Amino acid sequence: MDYSKLKGRSSYPFQTLAVAVAFSPRLEAVLAEAARLADTFTAQLLLIHVGKRTSGKEAVLQEICGRLGIDRESRMIWQSGEPISCLLRICKDNLVDLLVLGALRRENVLRYYLGSVARGMSRRAKCSLLLLIEPKVSGSSFQEIVVSCVAHPKTLPTLNTAVYFAKQVGSRKIHVVREVDQSGLAMAMSDDSPEGESTQVKDQLFGQEVMALQNLIDSCNPGEIPVNSKVIAGRPGFAIRQYTENSGADLLVINSPDGRYGIIDRIFTHDMEHILERMPCNMLIVHSRIPD
Amino acid sequence: MAKLSQHDLVVLLLAISTMLILSRIAAEFGKKIGLPMVMGELLIGVALGPTVLGAISPSTYSTLFPFATNVHVSLALDAIFSLSVILLLFVAGLELRLSLFLQHGKVAVYTGFGSMILPFVTGFAVAWFLPGWFHLDSGTDHLLFALFLGTAMSISALPVIARILLDMKMLKTEIGMVIIASAIFNDVVGWLIFSFILSMVGQSGERAGIGYTVAYIVAFAAFMLVVGRFILNRSLPWIQSRLSWPGGVLAMSLGLCLLCAAFTESIHIHAILGAFIAGLTIGDSVHLREQAREIMHQFVTNFFAPLFFVSIGLKVDFVQNFDLGIVALVLGLAFVGKVAGAGIGARLGGMSGRHSMAIGFGLNARGAMEIILGSLAFEAGLINHQVFVALIVMALVTSITSAPLMRRFFEEKR
Repeated sequence: MDYSKLKGRSSYPFQTLAVAVAFSPRLEAVLAEAARLADTFTAQLLLIHVGKRTSGKEAVLQEICGRLGIDRESRMIWQSGEPISCLLRICKDNLVDLLVLGALRRENVLRYYLGSVARGMSRRAKCSLLLLIEPKVSGSSFQEIVVSCVAHPKTLPTLNTAVYFAKQVGSRKIHVVREVDQSGLAMAMSDDSPEGESTQVKDQLFGQEVMALQNLIDSCNPGEIPVNSKVIAGRPGFAIRQYTENSGADLLVINSPDGRYGIIDRIFTHDMEHILERMPCNMLIVHSRIPD
Repeated sequence: MAKLSQHDLVVLLLAISTMLILSRIAAEFGKKIGLPMVMGELLIGVALGPTVLGAISPSTYSTLFPFATNVHVSLALDAIFSLSVILLLFVAGLELRLSLFLQHGKVAVYTGFGSMILPFVTGFAVAWFLPGWFHLDSGTDHLLFALFLGTAMSISALPVIARILLDMKMLKTEIGMVIIASAIFNDVVGWLIFSFILSMVGQSGERAGIGYTVAYIVAFAAFMLVVGRFILNRSLPWIQSRLSWPGGVLAMSLGLCLLCAAFTESIHIHAILGAFIAGLTIGDSVHLREQAREIMHQFVTNFFAPLFFVSIGLKVDFVQNFDLGIVALVLGLAFVGKVAGAGIGARLGGMSGRHSMAIGFGLNARGAMEIILGSLAFEAGLINHQVFVALIVMALVTSITSAPLMRRFFEEKR
């Protein structure tokens, strides 16, 4: 397989959109969402099922696809094997730009630690992922989007992808948010400091982050969509999860992780794991193909 | 219930107030000329202890600190000093975030291991092969002493390091975070090993107990950090929202700290391990409000920490026990092991040569953590007076030299 086309490939536009087909009660809703998004992005639709191919499954799928009008240029791939590895390989082989998956807002403790397919894919994402927590046959709306803008080279491509997504789906507002982790600061100020020094240092730090965030916004072109920029204090991942919940946003956009997250990252939760622990809304994890 | 007499109470209160007031004045003065606060507190201990006051006016010294003549006051002070060190380890744990170490991947792992292994090995090897250099007492357990010196060389002082990075405007940079993450690793592993060493003191004839001790420490730490954290993460929001603020969370946190300390002491592992792990467990929770953390910190660092650091000077005659040879040896070991170990680790992790050296000098600061470690080892009879004094000097010298040496490597780069 020639993977040279993947190297440096931009994270948007979405030319090939895939959907992970799981024969669950939410199958029709997930397929409807994927088909609608493929139309919106004028992308080719790919249906992927990892599991045994049976006539029963084929019949169910055919019936749902018929109802939703998915038959034009879409393709179906059946494959047996370990779900996450198979999905990753198929997405890579087919130059998938966006993989749509259904996901639970919160999983039970055991399942969270052992890992589900949707969360497992999020931890190892090699293409952008859209996790839908409440897929609807009528289609989800993405009116308000929160973009996590951590200080990382991947963030600008992520922000640009979020803006592209927002323009295509007709979003009303984009919240561009940066988290400031004050833990190191607390340690540094633990020895007694003169009155006001702590506040002054915090203000300076916030000021720098506000400027950095503004530079980032200036580098993208949100067009007519209003942008609300915000610097928040808190633990990375946890703070933005709370912000997203409180703002009532429909979609949270974050960078794909550097390297693979393992069980130890779930025990000593940090960054993306705080979000996966309890997803505040639908999530778009942008894989910008910048070398880790 | 046995009670302190009126005279005992007066002496006790007088001793505490003298320590608190004088150490605060000295710390503030030291701060103005750029010295760590702990240095002022230590100096007041030296001035009030056998080194100065005991030598100039023995009667005033024995009236104010009647360790040898009044068992009631002596016991009360000892209880306060023990509580101080337990709470100091609790707030040390409160500041550490294990996830920071995981966040910074390969370079933090290499630096963390490098800054732990090489200092440990060099410290252990010198103590093991050249025990004569340390003038060890005849009853000293040679293996435990070597293990202790290795641990003492590998520990770091996170608050000192964080302050240096903040002053250099490097706290939020990649290098700054690598240093912080590595220091966290050093502290967590260092205190676990030290707890093991302390629990082995006095059991030299029972090496079979080593397995049980290690198992107890690992099981307790794992239980608290996995199950304890899980429970705490679910109960803290309830505690903070339903109980009075901040009294509820403070009482519960300090209560848990003392409960864990009592538990580890009861299973013959030192109480400090319980307090440290309790601090780690509580401090790592995303639900702990910064304000609560700050209050606990202020409470301990402004009342218990000065008492503890002053008490160090009260116990030892620093002039009489100052051995230049041992001080030079300990200093040399500290610098070579830490700077080389952390530097090599950072280099292997992908940092440039100059930045690796800067990271090495950054992690070399030992600060208050080393002083606590040395004091506990001295109390347990693991080290003699001379080694204890050498460790205190090393802690101060490494803390003072860390910032200028680090700055030198960064500025040359610019």
